Amino acid sequence: MIGGSLGEPARQPRLWPRFVVFALIIALVVTALGLRLFTLQIVSGGYYAGLARENRVRLQPVRAPRGLIFDRAGRQLVDNVATFAIKARPADLPFSERPAVVDRLATLLDMRPADITEALDRAAANRFELANVARDVPEEVALIIREEHLQLPGIEVTVEPRRQYPYGDLVAHVLGFTGAVTADDLARVGSLGYLQDDTIGKQGVEATFEETLRGEYGVEQVEVDARGEAIRLLRTLQPAEPGDSLELTIDVDVQRDAETAMRWAMDLIGLERGVVMAMNPQTGEILAMVSLPSYDNNLFSRGISTADYQELLNAPGAPLRNHAIADHAPPGSTYKLVTGTGGLQDGVLTDRTILQTRAYLSIGSTRYWDWNRQGFGPLDIYDGFGRSSNTFFFQVARRLGIDRLAYWGSQFGFGERTGIDLPGEVRGMLPTNEWKMRLMNEPVYPGEVYQAGIGQGYDSFPPIQTLNAYAALANGGKLFKPQIVRRILSPVGEVVEEIEPELIRELDVDDSTLRIMRRAARRVVTIGQTYNLVDLPIVVAGKTGTAQFGVRDAKGRLPHHSWFVGFVPKDPWKTRRDPDGVEAVSGTDSELAVLAFAYDSRTTGNAATEIVKYFLQLHYDLDVDLRQDWILERDNFYGQ
Amino acid sequence: MGTMHVHPARLGSLGGRPSNGTWNSFDLQLAFFALALAVVGLLMAYTSSGDSPLEAGSLFTRGLMWLAIAIVMFTVAAAVDYRWLKTLAWPVYLVNLALLVLTLVVGSGVGGVSRWVTIGPLQFQFSELAKILMAVVLANYLAGRQGQLKSLATTLGAFLLVMPALALVLIQPDLGTSLVFGAILFGSLFLSGAGLRWLLIAAAGVLAMVPVAWTYILEDYQKRRLISFLDPSADPQGSGYQLIQSQIAVGSGGVFGKGLTNGSQTQLDYLPVSATDFVGATLAEELGFVGGVVLLLLFGALLWRILVVGWRSRDAFGLAFAAAIASMLLFQLMVNFGMVLGMMPVTGIPLPFVTHGGASLTSYAIGLGILQSVAMRQGRPAW
Repeated sequence: MIGGSLGEPARQPRLWPRFVVFALIIALVVTALGLRLFTLQIVSGGYYAGLARENRVRLQPVRAPRGLIFDRAGRQLVDNVATFAIKARPADLPFSERPAVVDRLATLLDMRPADITEALDRAAANRFELANVARDVPEEVALIIREEHLQLPGIEVTVEPRRQYPYGDLVAHVLGFTGAVTADDLARVGSLGYLQDDTIGKQGVEATFEETLRGEYGVEQVEVDARGEAIRLLRTLQPAEPGDSLELTIDVDVQRDAETAMRWAMDLIGLERGVVMAMNPQTGEILAMVSLPSYDNNLFSRGISTADYQELLNAPGAPLRNHAIADHAPPGSTYKLVTGTGGLQDGVLTDRTILQTRAYLSIGSTRYWDWNRQGFGPLDIYDGFGRSSNTFFFQVARRLGIDRLAYWGSQFGFGERTGIDLPGEVRGMLPTNEWKMRLMNEPVYPGEVYQAGIGQGYDSFPPIQTLNAYAALANGGKLFKPQIVRRILSPVGEVVEEIEPELIRELDVDDSTLRIMRRAARRVVTIGQTYNLVDLPIVVAGKTGTAQFGVRDAKGRLPHHSWFVGFVPKDPWKTRRDPDGVEAVSGTDSELAVLAFAYDSRTTGNAATEIVKYFLQLHYDLDVDLRQDWILERDNFYGQ
Repeated sequence: MGTMHVHPARLGSLGGRPSNGTWNSFDLQLAFFALALAVVGLLMAYTSSGDSPLEAGSLFTRGLMWLAIAIVMFTVAAAVDYRWLKTLAWPVYLVNLALLVLTLVVGSGVGGVSRWVTIGPLQFQFSELAKILMAVVLANYLAGRQGQLKSLATTLGAFLLVMPALALVLIQPDLGTSLVFGAILFGSLFLSGAGLRWLLIAAAGVLAMVPVAWTYILEDYQKRRLISFLDPSADPQGSGYQLIQSQIAVGSGGVFGKGLTNGSQTQLDYLPVSATDFVGATLAEELGFVGGVVLLLLFGALLWRILVVGWRSRDAFGLAFAAAIASMLLFQLMVNFGMVLGMMPVTGIPLPFVTHGGASLTSYAIGLGILQSVAMRQGRPAW
């Protein structure tokens, strides 16, 4: 061991090759790094510049203002108001901080923690996108949340438009509402550019005209950082196009009259649900569509809580359902229009044929009673329809048979969807032999044919079908698709599209037959079947219906619905030349058909007639008040 | 380790004129290139400081502070006669190991590792200082083995000297820095004239250790980094992310770069740790190919000057120490910048002088200061 002592030349003689090698290694490393730098920056510089641009430039959707909705008189039925919404980007909310954040939000927003957790997890697949937590948050709460953003990671406050419906529950079923898109919605419309925290029409025309109202979302290029936060707008590639507006066929005045009439009866009787509709038979335009009970659709556009939603779902009378189209019930005697028309058209009878009516008709040991349990003696079609004699129409139905009866029913549109532009329409049920064989493996029995002839038994239809059938009667045989939207308007109010009436079919019925049935419908009123409806200064033709359903009570009585459906000539006023209005209803110029349906009315008289009477008084602004409260007393005049 | 010799320091040499005037032999080039690199580092600290680089506590102001400290340390180390270190070699070695043990015990880091020791407001990574201290101890050892350098015992002894420190760094765990210790070991043995035979056998042995290390030593994240280096696209959002984003940053810089503070990749946080491990990417993106080449040339020139100081050194300590510093610098440049350019796997090795961090900068300042001390005390005319 020799120490390298100081000052002593300690270097081994032949180290210089190693220094050369080391210097070469340095040169090699520096050159290699330089060459690589050259390759990346000079040779592939353009390629990487492209990648860098892709990295930092993001296409971002621009929401389009949603179209508005007006009634036919131009009243605005919905408004877009700016509101604060609380959103969450779940990816930015660490799991460990989640309980604290959820608790704090629950306190501030007065929500259940479970609802907030659910909102966070709803968008589990897209944790980097915003998810809705709460909408329409009061400004002071939004400001607190904004101030506490450091303690609330991943929570953002945004301003977004909310639909506000100034008429609330008056037109709720027609308008519907918008709500946050669900996973199901996204699966359906995801390709159309819907966003995670988007809103979409859920019910009513908001849903059926979603595409029209939504407009076209725009696209803009923004520069984003690695967290995806937009730093600045680079340029707008495609500006957002506001949605078009709708002009409904509904007239809010008519709608309010219909609602007032229905509410009056409901309050008096204690009805659970009812429908009043008005339509222009010349076009199929719906002027009023009231389904009670209703609901405030603002609740939904504000973002309804699970608890409130459950309460509405389970509320008596099913307020969320549009009973005019989404529920069906036996049409009762209103269906005698089909039986009578079919009988006349198939030659079973003419307007001069007299049929003997009795207390009942028997099939085997079963008795089929007339409603007054006495019969009305010999009647022609006018009085048979006018008196609503069951035994008269039993005989007509028997001669027609179930399949011809079904044919004439389907001519009038029974048993098929009308195609109205509202979601949730049902078809109802129109029995035929084939149908019963398929379902129960047996033919329709003669007694069931009797029942079908008076709109009982298996027959069951939504109210819209009955109204539409009578509208076709009133206009001379044209069955229209009931129309709910008249026009599509641009954001500045220009007409983009006039929605023309859509004919479903011209009825396979002679004009003369329909004229007989219209006169018969007028006879219903003039004969006093509808009490003092005849005393109105206007001409009304129509038909009552009382439809039993459900189970018999202790006295063996069945509960019943009551119906009235009718129409008014274009010139509704009675004239001295035509005091009975028979000439007036012989024409086909009616511009108003009305239907009232009182579900489970069980009244002394026909409640629906009183409702229509009151509606007409309001609609024509009549001085007289012919309403008779006693008719609306709870009783059961029908059956035993 | 009985092979280590302790030499009495020559008293009176501190700041004196033992040879032909100490400060006249000051290697200006060495200092200049190092200072130029540190200024580049300061520029990078500025561009990484966000909106308010001049505010107290920003990367830039902290960088300024560390540069001042580094200059003081460099001057002090240059002024002290390096021969004193021979006396202090043993204590230095013990202090070295003690610092690394301390780091393991009280250190903190990200994700279950302990790399930093917090002293007051400062965090200090002692493994940086340990590299320099190791170079001192190793150079002293090799200087004491003159005449027996080619023997197996010398190579073996050097290994035994370095291994404890290397192992302590490896279990922090800090694979990169432990590899720097390996580079110091091999570089100084090679340039000092150790037996090539033994060096080759040792190199082969290290290679043979790779499968063992893979199975027993490497942590999962280290394995992932190595795998994603081989195929970055296998997991572009995971461990391959940094490699891909770094190459995009470098490539998009083009010839002249996007300008200081204008690098979209780095300023918009696409590239993580753009101020530290990936500072080279920030530089290449913002200053372009021109800036990158200047950086490489500065490193090349500095390495050349270090070699020259070693070659000129009349005693074996100076030579071995220069070899250690050069190896360490070259290795870090290769691994760090190679990583930035996608040629090397991701490791946490800083780019000397440029990466923001006080420990690395001051440690290199001390190392170069000692080297300057060597250069100033050889009594030969400059080349």
